[in-house]
Amino acid sequence: MLKKIASVRGILSIFLFLSIIYAGYCIYYKVEYWGFHFTPKQTANIWSIEAHISFEPTGEPIKVSLTTPRSNDSFKVLEENTIAEGYKISKNKTASRLIMTSPAREELQDIYYKILLFDNTDSRGKTKSAAPATPEAPIFDEQKLAAAKQLLKLAQAREGDPVSQIIRLLNEEPMHPAVQAYLPVKTTQKIMVEIISDLLALKKIPSQIARGFKLQESKKSLSPDLMIEAYTNGSWRIYDIKTGKKGIPDNFVLFQRGGQSLIDVEGGENSVIKFSVLKSITSSMKLAGQRAKLLNQEDRFQYSIYNLPLAQQNTLKWLSIFPLAILMIVLMRNVIGLQTMGTFTPMLLAMSLIKTGFWPGMLCFAIIMTLGLLIRFVMSKFNLLLVPRISAVVIFVILIMQSLTIIGYQLDFHIAQSAVFFPIIIMSWIIERASITWEEDGALNACREIIFSLVVAIATYFVISSEYIRHIMFAFNELNLVVLFMVMLLGTYTGYRLMELKRFRPLVKK
Amino acid sequence: MFAWLKSFASPKELSKAGVLGMNRRNFDIISQYNPRCLYPLVDDKVKTKELANKIGISTPRLIGIIEYQYEAKNILDIIHGQKEFVIKPAQGSGGKGVLVIKDYQEEGHFFTTASGRQLAYNEVYQHISNILSGLYSLGGKYDTAIVEELVHFSDIFKDYSYQGVPDVRVIVYKGYPAMAMTRLPTKASGGRANLHQGAIGVGLDISNGKALHGVCRDIPITIQPDTGADLMKIEVPYWREHLLIGALAYEMTGLGYLGADIVLDARRGPMMLELNARPGLAIQIANGIGLKNCLKEIDKSYPSGLSAEERVDFVLNKRAK
Repeated sequence: MLKKIASVRGILSIFLFLSIIYAGYCIYYKVEYWGFHFTPKQTANIWSIEAHISFEPTGEPIKVSLTTPRSNDSFKVLEENTIAEGYKISKNKTASRLIMTSPAREELQDIYYKILLFDNTDSRGKTKSAAPATPEAPIFDEQKLAAAKQLLKLAQAREGDPVSQIIRLLNEEPMHPAVQAYLPVKTTQKIMVEIISDLLALKKIPSQIARGFKLQESKKSLSPDLMIEAYTNGSWRIYDIKTGKKGIPDNFVLFQRGGQSLIDVEGGENSVIKFSVLKSITSSMKLAGQRAKLLNQEDRFQYSIYNLPLAQQNTLKWLSIFPLAILMIVLMRNVIGLQTMGTFTPMLLAMSLIKTGFWPGMLCFAIIMTLGLLIRFVMSKFNLLLVPRISAVVIFVILIMQSLTIIGYQLDFHIAQSAVFFPIIIMSWIIERASITWEEDGALNACREIIFSLVVAIATYFVISSEYIRHIMFAFNELNLVVLFMVMLLGTYTGYRLMELKRFRPLVKK
Repeated sequence: MFAWLKSFASPKELSKAGVLGMNRRNFDIISQYNPRCLYPLVDDKVKTKELANKIGISTPRLIGIIEYQYEAKNILDIIHGQKEFVIKPAQGSGGKGVLVIKDYQEEGHFFTTASGRQLAYNEVYQHISNILSGLYSLGGKYDTAIVEELVHFSDIFKDYSYQGVPDVRVIVYKGYPAMAMTRLPTKASGGRANLHQGAIGVGLDISNGKALHGVCRDIPITIQPDTGADLMKIEVPYWREHLLIGALAYEMTGLGYLGADIVLDARRGPMMLELNARPGLAIQIANGIGLKNCLKEIDKSYPSGLSAEERVDFVLNKRAK
């Protein structure tokens, strides 16, 4: 007999162990390759950027070279699309430029380049990268060098780190005479970046140009804004060239980091590049498909929950919390030893509480129970047959719910409106069971059963109401296997229940 | 601050006291020795009665059965000529749905229950109808109503119980009577012999039927609260016959672990009321000792292959030593 248990337990333990390992692997896989998070509502910023290049051909063979974003940890290109009819497209990966060539053409050329960017704001500025080579000092004549050195000296009096100091000095209002003398009469963003870069080079700080877009609702076509990126303290940091503020501003998406010109067109003139940018916040789960695609693991993703239509996903999300609720019930009954009304009634109550919210749900439950029991007691005087009687209780429960909802609406008392979420049949059976227990075993036993059922329901509620737990059970649904084997293993638990420790206390010899 | 903790025993203490827990009972004993296919033999009292009569266990005489709603009106024919009887569900448990009629006046159809309540015909009809529709049966399935003779319980229990029928529960393990108690209805239990409803449980020495220890609602007592009788003076007569019913019930059902509920009729001696394939664990509290060690001993040192009578004698002799 003992051996048999040991082997059943042994087998289940092995399965539990295997399921834990499997779940562990899947969690690792999903976090690592699909970018799943442990916290719910984790959203990722997805930017859809479209560049529209147009130019007039000059009659010579055409070569368009466009800078493209470079992927790194915090910055991933999920999708890349080029619409350039008749062009031969090649990619220069080292310089991250897209090169499109075509024989000579005549009419106005339109080329579209569209990318889907994932901008991981969490890891911004945290990515360490190898130190770039120390920049060569710019070649200045003596006069300019002196002026530059004076500026650097002046800058030290400004606030911020060396990079911000320089930017702040250059943008000061009113302009310092030394700055005024140094800057050309007309400055563009590009010139500004070059000047800052030169000054930083004098201080031996490596820097590079960065292009990006400030997202504006009203504007659809944008030209890129320039920023400067400087390498300090072991990582690249980005600076606004107007304010000297460190970091990427809100609603700003980086398109290009480093590199040379944005676009070069050979065999064309009057080239214009216009960008349109769309920001969409999607959950990391939706993003997973894109990521899987990038890693050539589409098959695996295709057969996962997360590739289903959203409505079905929501249903499955709701279902995937059930096993945990069931585990709670098993624990409460077989380990704690609470006797409840019906095995899964408390779980269904807990599910309703999720939909209604805790206090409104409890209040509604109390009202329905009280009225239901009262009606049931009146009805017991009529001596009805069982099935018609329970049916009558069901109808009464429906009527109570209707009135609660109507009254709640009229009084603008939203608590009452949650009544509709309670499972009618379950409520009716609770009422019927309670009133029978009341008559048979006394009020004490009936109340105890109701209270125990509620305690189990509330405990279950607190486990499954956590958005966090719900997310984890759905995102890492392999955990349900672990729960399954835990439940089965609990089926071999032959130890005392917690309530028995109290119940059998008198048997302990002093 | 932690005083409430004292009302809990540690698992180790319980284990040392040999207490059998619900999980272990279900897993180690019931699922091992009570194959589910045998349950119908004890779940349906009509079947149990037939089997018992075949094997020579006396039970209250069957007056009639009602199987379908349309037969409910036949009750008057069935009870014709009876002064007193019991109506109960064939598949009820825990004494639910048992209607004891102490006095029946055929003229006008007046019924008086054991507690002295007057019932009209339609109330009795209603009760039967409730039984048939499954109100008292396990899982609410359709049931049969049994009408059987009323047990005139022996005078020896008169002072110990308040109304109702006191009974003796014998736990039989592998055919050996392992533990016994008598259950005495109280005012609080509404005349029913169920411990969780407030009846008194008095543990009985398995070798002689003498009181060991009394308990009411899990609290030790020595005096019956309604009558003031000394519970410790209980000594059940015809003890060997009681045990023999239990031992025979094993032969009859094949259940390795069962509870036999036995009543002592003043004229006909011990009679089996019903059998239970999952007897409760409260008997341990009533006896003041755990069941586990007792079962272990039966596993280890009791001989197998004995007849029911031999097993009873074995138990009586063993414990007497």
